[in-house]
Amino acid sequence: MLHNDKECVAMLLAGGQGARLGVLTKDTAKPAVPFGGKYRIIDFPLSNCINSGIDTIGVLTQYQPFDLNQYIGNGQPWDLDRLNGGVFVLPPYVKGKHGEWYKGTANAIYQNIAFIDKFMPQYVLILSGDHIYKMDYAKMLDAHKTRHADCTIAVIDVPKDEASRFGIMNTNEDGSVYEFEEKPKNPKSTNASMGVYIFTWDKLKNYLINDENSVGSHNDFGKNIIPSMLNAGEKLYAYEFEGYWKDVGTISSLWEANMDLLTTDSGLVLDDEKWKIYSRSTAEPPHYTGDNAVISNSLITEGCTINGVIKRSIISPSVTIGEGALIEGSTIMPGAIIQEGAEVKYSIIGAGAIVGAGAKVGDIQTEAVDGEWQITVVGADAIIQPNTVVPVNAMIDGEGN
Amino acid sequence: MNNDIMSIVFANDSDSKLNELTLHRTTASLPFCGRYRFIDFTLSNLVNSNITTIGIVTKVNYSSLMDHIRMGRDWDLNRKNSGIAIFPPYVSNTATSNYKGKISALHSLLHYLIQGKEEYVLLTNSDVALNIDYEEVYNSHIKSRADITMVTHMSKPTGNTRVIVEAKSSRQVEKLRIKNTPSDDIAEIGLNIYLIKKDLLIKLIESAHELGYLDFERHILQLGLGQLNIVAYKHNGYSAIIDDVNTYYVESMRMLQTNVRNDLFYRAGKIYTKTKDSVPTIYRENSTVKNSLIADGCDINGTVENSILFRGVVVEEGAVIRNSIVMENGIIMRYSNLSYAITDKDVKVTENRKICGYDTYPVVIAKGKEV
Repeated sequence: MLHNDKECVAMLLAGGQGARLGVLTKDTAKPAVPFGGKYRIIDFPLSNCINSGIDTIGVLTQYQPFDLNQYIGNGQPWDLDRLNGGVFVLPPYVKGKHGEWYKGTANAIYQNIAFIDKFMPQYVLILSGDHIYKMDYAKMLDAHKTRHADCTIAVIDVPKDEASRFGIMNTNEDGSVYEFEEKPKNPKSTNASMGVYIFTWDKLKNYLINDENSVGSHNDFGKNIIPSMLNAGEKLYAYEFEGYWKDVGTISSLWEANMDLLTTDSGLVLDDEKWKIYSRSTAEPPHYTGDNAVISNSLITEGCTINGVIKRSIISPSVTIGEGALIEGSTIMPGAIIQEGAEVKYSIIGAGAIVGAGAKVGDIQTEAVDGEWQITVVGADAIIQPNTVVPVNAMIDGEGN
Repeated sequence: MNNDIMSIVFANDSDSKLNELTLHRTTASLPFCGRYRFIDFTLSNLVNSNITTIGIVTKVNYSSLMDHIRMGRDWDLNRKNSGIAIFPPYVSNTATSNYKGKISALHSLLHYLIQGKEEYVLLTNSDVALNIDYEEVYNSHIKSRADITMVTHMSKPTGNTRVIVEAKSSRQVEKLRIKNTPSDDIAEIGLNIYLIKKDLLIKLIESAHELGYLDFERHILQLGLGQLNIVAYKHNGYSAIIDDVNTYYVESMRMLQTNVRNDLFYRAGKIYTKTKDSVPTIYRENSTVKNSLIADGCDINGTVENSILFRGVVVEEGAVIRNSIVMENGIIMRYSNLSYAITDKDVKVTENRKICGYDTYPVVIAKGKEV
């Protein structure tokens, strides 16, 4: 079995319901939500892994997994169709006489100890499926090895007034963590955990087993594993990441991250030959821009037909924008149809949705209170009847229309 | 569902008349419509029709083709059984004539044909753009008890070699004329796509080869008309043989018509190509784009009208592109002007340059050149 050993195996937590994304995750897991035109959120951690030289990834799913499973397939778009290693979708399963759902993030890994052990890794990288960022995990692993750490937690410096929305790592001068506070009212520092952890596998395995046996545990990394490792005096270090990182777990932040693609000063640059973000291709011809189209400051992808006005928006593959339609500050997901004269402003339109002729969806926002934009959302396959008005911040379900 | 057909694809057929565009590549790897190569239509049609044993015959300049196809993964052709086999040059002597090729090429592939477990062979050139279901061609072949079914379409003969077909109402071919004079009258023209039983093909090739015959159309089809039941299958969708620069330009521009484009890209199945993981195209503040096809990965800050941009093209502020085709990674710099031009891959047009062709004579800028 020596030849099958992997130094580091990545485990991607993709099982959350993503309830805060509302209708966008009604029929799909959060990591499979479209982003940036031709991507899905999960393309970011998967591409980061392969670009970092990590080719063995377990994707832990349990909520609406079909879309995600189909999207990942054999992993070929990310070069993860490997003879040894590759990408594995890991739903909960019945073991012996017992079987249960993943109770928490730590329990999800606990239930897959046997999977990880097959590769006999020294290190395990724990990732989330709801963050947009480009990160070289190999550098983080180097830092983990150099410090002989038991656990390394990636942190990013956040503005002081936002720190209370994150898990904060309080560190000594050498970067070692002495305290972890989940969403503290009065944060002592601005080192926010990015939900990216590297553990020395033997160590983590013990903590997972103990945690499983402890009554009343939430079986969660942030609430249980990290605090108990700190209490026991294990070596926990923060790894400072510099660059773009965003949790896209809410409608507002998902919209913001999309808009960040349109400004150079956001730091989110996808056109990077050295760090490509891969995605499953849709095999569509180039997009067609018609005689009456007016497009500025926008991203347009293949298979689209554009005949309207588009300002500061992201248009996914195979979207149709009719004559005289106006799209502003919005992201339109794959296959949606915006008919003649419709107006879509500061909105997210779900895959396959139809906005009828002359309908008005959402309105322009000038500022956001507490980072919460009032974004209008039309769910996948929803139909907005012609000439109707969908008010600001409304959320329209695809069902029953 | 599996079927009983294998395919032989000829990658170089009309190379000479495409001039600069096929200087460094086969016709099969000639870029078309923003993100495709000609071979993509051939391979996608075959795969969509469940034909997965495919031999590709090449003659010259085939490295770009090998690079494009790799293991055939993008067409789902990296199979354990069947898949793609590429046959490098079969010309062992100094023969260069196109027609020297086909019969001797097939003769040199006899072992591959015999080895294949399929009962039928589909022969096709790779200078054809169309979206066709070969299962329908096969059904027609069986129903009409044809020895050879040839796929045809209606079009005006150009100055290049064309096989003009005259068929009875039963679609049985009565007369074949091989012409290279242009005409304004629409005629039924062969697309150089043939379906034939493998055993019969082997027999015909062996005997033609023994007699020193060279030309598949003249020496097997024309001479065989009395003895063989040759049936024409007319393709009613979009189709074009693209074997000179002018046709290339005209057919590219036809892709701007939505109904034509939909026919070529969706009629019987999707057209697949090598994926490049390009980012979406960005339209910046000063972009003006009208009636154009734009592939992914472009960065547009100038004016583009009635044109086709391939993947990764940069149009700087003030640049104007009209009635032109800009292939992959072209850079059109500030205040330069392109009109009726075809720029090949990796061309750079520097600031304030003006390149102007005519609608019947587009200017071609060769691969990698800087203007």
